[in-house]
Amino acid sequence: MLSRSKGLNKRFRPADIFLLVFLLSMSVSGIFFIKEVMPKSTNVIIEVDGKQRYSLPLGTDSVTEVKGPEGPTIVEVKNGKVRVTESECPGKICVKQGWVDRGAIICIPNRIIVRLDAEYSDKELDAVTE
Amino acid sequence: MRSIRYRPFLATVMIIALISGCSLGGERIYTDSRIAMDTIVTISVVSDSSKEASVSINKVFGEITKLSELANFYSEKSELTAVNLSAGKKPVKVSPELFEIIRLSLDIAGRTGGAFDPTMGAVTALWDFHDEVLPDDTKLNEKAKLVSYKSVVLNDKKGTVFLKKEGMKIDLGGIAKGYAADIAIDLLKGDGIESALVSVAGDIRAYGSKPDGSPWMIGIRDPRPASPTENILAALPLQEMAISTSGDYQRFFIREGTRYHHLLSPKNGRPVKGTQSVSIISDKAVITDSMATAVFIMGPEKGLKFADKMGYLAVIVDDNGRIYISEGLRDVIEIKRPE
Repeated sequence: MLSRSKGLNKRFRPADIFLLVFLLSMSVSGIFFIKEVMPKSTNVIIEVDGKQRYSLPLGTDSVTEVKGPEGPTIVEVKNGKVRVTESECPGKICVKQGWVDRGAIICIPNRIIVRLDAEYSDKELDAVTE
Repeated sequence: MRSIRYRPFLATVMIIALISGCSLGGERIYTDSRIAMDTIVTISVVSDSSKEASVSINKVFGEITKLSELANFYSEKSELTAVNLSAGKKPVKVSPELFEIIRLSLDIAGRTGGAFDPTMGAVTALWDFHDEVLPDDTKLNEKAKLVSYKSVVLNDKKGTVFLKKEGMKIDLGGIAKGYAADIAIDLLKGDGIESALVSVAGDIRAYGSKPDGSPWMIGIRDPRPASPTENILAALPLQEMAISTSGDYQRFFIREGTRYHHLLSPKNGRPVKGTQSVSIISDKAVITDSMATAVFIMGPEKGLKFADKMGYLAVIVDDNGRIYISEGLRDVIEIKRPE
């Protein structure tokens, strides 16, 4: 029994190590492969003063109150589009912008950016000049 | 025999090293986007330390904010507004940074024969693309007479700027963002960052490469996208260069079938026809920002010849959707527009 076991160890050790390492490498690299290659889901990202505060799914209708330095800004997601319905800022440019399904709504006085994360059709790009 | 048996193992180790080298290694990309210069500014740096990256990025945003406060056309408190309010009256002493941007803008105005003119302020102030305000013809003709980069007097010794005609206004909207991208890159290089990508709205400058050694890939927005999900005209790698785009889709409104956009002729203050978008590639973003505007104003054929002569690379889309590409770009650019 002991000698048989020893025999098996001798015969399969390199293959065992190979398999173990291979499986480990697949599982580790898989995490990064999925992260890098799979397209991101389309979310509405809301940032206040440069910091991300919310990530809302574009496919789910919602109304969110976001607190900025000037006061609340109301962000509505509906039918795959997003808009600012109310904002405590002087010009209300963000409200006037209406519904958007790409790009971003920027409220400068209230330091709020509402943007769509899947902005460009090509996910391999690092930046887009427009 | 032994070495043969261990070859698969060694090969596996090497594969893992390669895979993890790309994703798990010390260097990674740190990205931060903030509002600055009335737009979104995105800075990506390659670093092996999040703290180092964060310190450098914060420093850059601090400088860009400072620059924005000096050169803001719409702020009552900016140094630029002080210069504009003193037009026809007296020279105004400004900080060295603002003096330098104005000096560069006048230099570029001269090189483009006035196709780019920083003294468009009196005209741009009449247009409101957000509320779709079409300016009165008489007023527009009157203000267009105030556009004259040759009427700006700089005094190097005193650091002053003087606009000769009353009512004249400098608007640095066509150059300040590019200048900011250059400043950002200079600061990051000074901090020892070996690779970075800076995007101030559509004015982008890159140096170095990504952690896996590949170049930064930049898309050019399609001025007339087939659909919201097919909005890239072309893609190209960018290394040690800058790229900017001027397009008739950035700020515009359509009235009775006519597109009124923000790229205005310095001669008459009205939107220039014939072009949908111009992208320029050169070594500095201050050049690409202002030259994209100038080439747009010149029109596709004259503009492409001018870009060639000046040594800039260009991608121009005319008003029929035809794409003109500089010869030097044809091997590296990939057209993404669907057939």
